[in-house]
Amino acid sequence: MSAAVDILSAVLLLVGTLFTLIGGTGLLRLPDVFTRLHAASVTDTLGAGAILLGLALAAGWSLLMGKILALLLIMALLSPSAAHALARAAIHGIRRPWLDEAQK
Amino acid sequence: MLIEAVNIVLLALLAATAIAAVRLHDLFAVAMMFGIYSLLAAVMFVLLDALDVAFTEAAVGVGISTVLMLATIGLVGRHELPSTHRSLLPLAVVVATGAALIYGTLDMPFFGDPGAPVHQHVAPYYISQSPHQTGLPNVVTSVLASYRGYDTLGELAVIFTAGVGVLALLGLRRRKRPGKHRTAQ
Amino acid sequence: MTLTVTLIALLVTMAFALIRAIKGPTVYDRILASNALGTKTVLMIAVLGFVVGDPELYIDIALMYVLIGFIGTVAVLKVSEFGNLGQPQSHTDAEDT
Repeated sequence: MSAAVDILSAVLLLVGTLFTLIGGTGLLRLPDVFTRLHAASVTDTLGAGAILLGLALAAGWSLLMGKILALLLIMALLSPSAAHALARAAIHGIRRPWLDEAQK
Repeated sequence: MLIEAVNIVLLALLAATAIAAVRLHDLFAVAMMFGIYSLLAAVMFVLLDALDVAFTEAAVGVGISTVLMLATIGLVGRHELPSTHRSLLPLAVVVATGAALIYGTLDMPFFGDPGAPVHQHVAPYYISQSPHQTGLPNVVTSVLASYRGYDTLGELAVIFTAGVGVLALLGLRRRKRPGKHRTAQ
Repeated sequence: MTLTVTLIALLVTMAFALIRAIKGPTVYDRILASNALGTKTVLMIAVLGFVVGDPELYIDIALMYVLIGFIGTVAVLKVSEFGNLGQPQSHTDAEDT
């Protein structure tokens, strides 16, 4: 049982790590604000969620696990709000979403 | 070993952030850079086990000072004026001062050295007595809030006064304009 | 071991976000990079707690960071969208003159 929890925790951590790296690469390489926002949101929700779940499993059944889950809940509420506010501010600003050359 | 590597990478990122903050001319971007700088510095404080300083850095650096800088930018405009003077002399002064300070640190005791004078004076007393005398688990908190309670109260009064002053300055330009308050939204 | 990999990946992602914050052509790129860096910082403090072996203390700091980071981001976005922190004077000034 304990070994299974450890393996699950490690797998979740690695999945979160993978999504974090994908999001970071997207943040660096994608062409405009909205596409980069899309990449960063992946990191903020899926990457952070998987890493924090992995940590919560590693923490075991304790107050620490409750705190990590609270952190997870707060991030799940706040990150999309921040991303939405950012997209709204960006589209109210001068930026238009980047489109393919053929669509312009 | 791993922690040292993390510290080195963080220090490199910190230096890059500082240089970028100096080189950029859009003040809004500079405010963002200061926010990033605070985040990185706070992680370093956490790694140095200075948790109370990390708390303060988070609250002041990331939260309040960003908001105050942005409020100031809202009053004074977003773009830095081009510099008209040569920066060689200030650079020389800064380099000389920094070299003198680094020379001064050579005689200091090593970080965490138990024989250092600062760890011989009242620190052993606080560490051994504060749990019984104050009932607080954290020594730093017991020193700040109990042994030097009046000191902290005075500091708080000063900070409160400064906060009221800043708010008064920022609110100076607010004028009553009935019926126009919603136009910006 | 897994924690080490996660820690290194978080550092690499922080470096990417910092490059984007320095390069970022528009204000929104910089805000996005700063926000992403804040999230990575919170995750990194949480992971560091387990690496160092004292997660109880570190999680409290991470909790506080995520709340303060949100306040900072919203303040920044208000300024970037309205030009100030919510008092509408600068827009009405611009319209009057």
